[in-house]
Amino acid sequence: MTSPTLAAGVAPRPLQHRAFLFGGMDDFLSRAVPFVREGLDDEDRSVVVVVAEPRLSALRDLFPDCADDMFIDASAFYAHPVRTLRSYLELVKREHPLRVHALAEPVWRPEWTARETLEWARYESLINEVFKDTGASALCPYDTFALPPQILEHARRTHPRLVQGDAERPNARFAAPEDFSAEVDRARVFPAPHESEYLPVTGHDLHELRRWVGERSERHGLSRQDAQNLVTAVNEVAANALVHGTPPFGVRLWTEGPDLVCEVGDNGYWNTFSPLVGFVPPSSALENGFGLWTVRLLVDLVEVRAGWDGTFVRMRLHR
Amino acid sequence: METLSSVRRPVRELRPGDHAWLAYSGEDEQRYVVGSFVRDGLDASHKVIYLAGSDDVDVPGMNGTPPRSGLLTVVPLEEARRPDGGFDPGTVLEALACEIAGAEGGDFGTIRVTADMTWTLDLPDGLTQLLRCERHIEQAVCPSTRVTAICQIDRRRLTADARTALAASHSTVVTPNPEFADSVLQIVRTFEPVGLSLLGELDASRHMVLDQALNTVLTASRGEEIHLDLAGLGFIDLGALNMLADVAARRSGTGPLVLDSMPVQLRTIMETVGWHMLPGLRLGTV
Repeated sequence: MTSPTLAAGVAPRPLQHRAFLFGGMDDFLSRAVPFVREGLDDEDRSVVVVVAEPRLSALRDLFPDCADDMFIDASAFYAHPVRTLRSYLELVKREHPLRVHALAEPVWRPEWTARETLEWARYESLINEVFKDTGASALCPYDTFALPPQILEHARRTHPRLVQGDAERPNARFAAPEDFSAEVDRARVFPAPHESEYLPVTGHDLHELRRWVGERSERHGLSRQDAQNLVTAVNEVAANALVHGTPPFGVRLWTEGPDLVCEVGDNGYWNTFSPLVGFVPPSSALENGFGLWTVRLLVDLVEVRAGWDGTFVRMRLHR
Repeated sequence: METLSSVRRPVRELRPGDHAWLAYSGEDEQRYVVGSFVRDGLDASHKVIYLAGSDDVDVPGMNGTPPRSGLLTVVPLEEARRPDGGFDPGTVLEALACEIAGAEGGDFGTIRVTADMTWTLDLPDGLTQLLRCERHIEQAVCPSTRVTAICQIDRRRLTADARTALAASHSTVVTPNPEFADSVLQIVRTFEPVGLSLLGELDASRHMVLDQALNTVLTASRGEEIHLDLAGLGFIDLGALNMLADVAARRSGTGPLVLDSMPVQLRTIMETVGWHMLPGLRLGTV
């Protein structure tokens, strides 16, 4: 992949992506403050602080001369993994040629399912791929007093370097993004729904499919915007299947607890499938991969299953 | 746009008895709509009566080939000039009425009449004169089973009140023929601003026709911004965003493609995608 901000002829600048395992406010500030100061003192860098309360206010108070928009509340910023990645990407592009210097604390919510937590871990891992040549520096705080061991383990799998106490060291447990993503994919299960509706897709005109998905989205309680997002996502995946897949094509739709699920299937084998497909953003709509990347932005979760029995793309939206 | 009471109808759907008006934004729009009216009429062997500013006018829609003898009559406005140099709407109308009557005596199935009436606005008390003309034409056309008329008026010369009055004196507002229309999507050219208006749903099956319509507009444009009026669009697929960004990239340097009146749900999708992904596309009027 080419870096989104890399101009031709400019040497790539490696990303620094470190997990910062801290315990308590004092420990947090003892590392976070010098990190922010280091960025402020370097005129080649643009500093952003995305952390959760009460740490955000504590840091803001210590840097009274800094612009308010340098401080972002992580609990609002980390709302949807793909959109968070997109927002960081926008930030890196906007600040170029300055290098982004980010104190970036991912938010982990106890109410998440194991599946949701894994998707967020996947995005921590993807940072290594997406920003690899941007020269950005990210220090990602993990609260060892509050977070469960599973999440601290994810931190070790997704950051090539660890900062703890006074020490910084390379991290032997780090997994390459492609391997980590494949690991996440292996942990998935695809339970067949008890009850579902099915629409065979026979022609190339997808008007009827959109009407079918739109009606059901409304009936199952999606907001108008979510319905439009789902219709756009399903249309994109179905159009793609019609071009690259093998008949028969069809769309299955069902509810699963609070979610509406819609799966587009075809009988073809996706032989170039990679665990990173659609996860790494293209630099513009003109590039390959724009469609699936955007589908991931539009719905809450996209799961691609490329097997010998066919290719299935499952899209999920919270009702 | 002009009024709620008028029927809007593409020029190809005008029927005998229709007394339509065209509030054109400039010569491009005028020639585009009137050209369709004249060309379709001549192709169907209708009688076409064209009221013109002078004798040697360049009638739109001719494609360089002279029509069959007797099909086209140009009525020069000059003939209505009084000895003192002024114009007399009465004389003009008389000349028109005379041509229509003559054509009705012939074996034409349909008689098409069109006139640019903007000149009446130059007369003292111009709007009153214009409305008087319009009443005469209305009386001549509406009961007819054979006559279709388009009155052309330069929109830039009209006040809001004048528009309302003109709308009330015509049964129909004529619009350009769509560049494309099927049961799902309609594409219509716009002239002010220059661009296209899209109605319905835009998906992969219809990228080709949009690309063709865009090329037509780009060919006719003079490097100005191209606007897409999306007020009537219910769906746009991601491939179309890709295609529009591609068109914008091909004409880089001549300004962005501007997306006007985008419905809120489509706009939110664009914002979710991120405008940085869509170089050369810009959100216009909301």
